[in-house]
Amino acid sequence: MKRDVWTGDLAFATLPWIAGWLIIAGLVHMASIFAMPRLAGKDAFARMSALAQPHQVVLLPATTAQVGAPFDDPALAQGVCRYDLSQGPLRLRATLAPDALMLFSFHARHGQIFYSMTDRSATRGKLDVLLVTRQQLDAVEANDPEDELPQDLRIIAPTPEGFLLFRALAEFPGEMAEAEARIQSIACGLDRDARS
Amino acid sequence: MLHLLKILLTAVAGLWLGLEATYYAVERGADQGFGTGLIFGAVHAGPWSGWPKTGTREADPYARALFARTSETPLGVTEGLSFIAREDSSGAALTSACDYVVAKAIPAARFWTLSAMGPDGKLFPTTSQRHGFTSSELLRSADGGFEIRVSALARPGNWLEVNESQPFVLMLRLYDTALSANAFAVTASAMPSIVRERCR
Repeated sequence: MKRDVWTGDLAFATLPWIAGWLIIAGLVHMASIFAMPRLAGKDAFARMSALAQPHQVVLLPATTAQVGAPFDDPALAQGVCRYDLSQGPLRLRATLAPDALMLFSFHARHGQIFYSMTDRSATRGKLDVLLVTRQQLDAVEANDPEDELPQDLRIIAPTPEGFLLFRALAEFPGEMAEAEARIQSIACGLDRDARS
Repeated sequence: MLHLLKILLTAVAGLWLGLEATYYAVERGADQGFGTGLIFGAVHAGPWSGWPKTGTREADPYARALFARTSETPLGVTEGLSFIAREDSSGAALTSACDYVVAKAIPAARFWTLSAMGPDGKLFPTTSQRHGFTSSELLRSADGGFEIRVSALARPGNWLEVNESQPFVLMLRLYDTALSANAFAVTASAMPSIVRERCR
C-alpha cells in the first residue's frame, strides 16, 4: 500500500519533466525543419549561383553519371536565368517552336516554386513575361495606357532573388543540341522599358 | 540547484530529440533520395509514388527542407508530374539481377519519359549510353502499346539498360499532363505495370 503511494508520487513528479522534454523536442524539430531552407548552404539557388550571373540564360551541364542534381531527367536540356529584382523587373521573352516541349518554372530564393508553365501557355508561339515585386507591379500598372489590356503576363515574385529554370525535351538522343539551342534562344534579362 | 540541473537536462534532452527527428526526416531522405524523407502528400498508384504538391506554392516544410539539402529542382505542377518506383508490381524490391517489363497503361500526357537511376537519383554508367526512353522514340506495337525491357543484359526492342553491380529505381515523368489538376485521383490501372521476368 505504502509502496503504491510512493510510485504514484514519483510518476506524478516525473510527468511534467517528460512533457517538457517532448514539448522542447517538438519545438526544436519544427524550428529546425522550417529553418533548413534558409540555413542549407547547398540548395538549388546556391547551385545556380555558382553557374550563372543574374539576368542571363546559362545552360546547365548535361545530366550524366557525375554531373547534375539528383533525379534530373536525362532527356531534358536545362537552362537557368537568375533574377535580382532589386535591380529592376525581369523580362522573359521567347519564340517557341510548335509542339516542342518547353517547361518554365519560377523558383523563389528558398526553393519555393511559385509559378510554372509549358510552351502551351504561349499565345501565337510567343511568350512575354514580366517578373516583378509588388511595388514594381504598381509602378508598371500606373504607366499602362488606359484603353488597352497589357500584352504580357505579369507575375509577382515572393522574394526579390531567385531563378527561372527552363527545360526542353530532346525527344531523341540526337536532338539534345537542338533542345539546348531552343533554351539559348530565350531572352531573359532586366526589363528595358521599366521605369521603376 | 537540483531543480536547475533538471531543467538543463530536460532542455538538452529536448534539443537532442528534436534534432534527431529532423535528421531522421531530412538527412536520411537526402541520402536515400526522392521521397524517402517526404512524409506528407504522397500519391501511390501500384508500384509508383509521387509527390505532386512539391511543385506548388503549397510544398510542405519537410519537402522544402529536403530539397534545400539535395539541391533538387522538382517539376512545377503545371510542367508535369514525377513518379518513382522502387518496387515491381508484386511489391518486391527492384534488383538489377532480374529483368523487368514495363508496359501497358500510361496516363494521358503530351510527352512522357521513363528513366533508370540509382536510388540516390544519380545516373550510372551504361554501355548503351542510354538512361531512359522518351514517349517519342519508343518502338510500339501495332495497337500503339509499348513494352520497355529493363535489364542489365542487352534485350531486343526497347532496352533500358541498368548496371549489374548497382541498385536502381525507375522514374516516370508525365509532361504537360491533364493529371496535374487531379494527381490524387490516379489509379494503379492507369499507370504502367512493372512485371518481373527472369532473374540471374
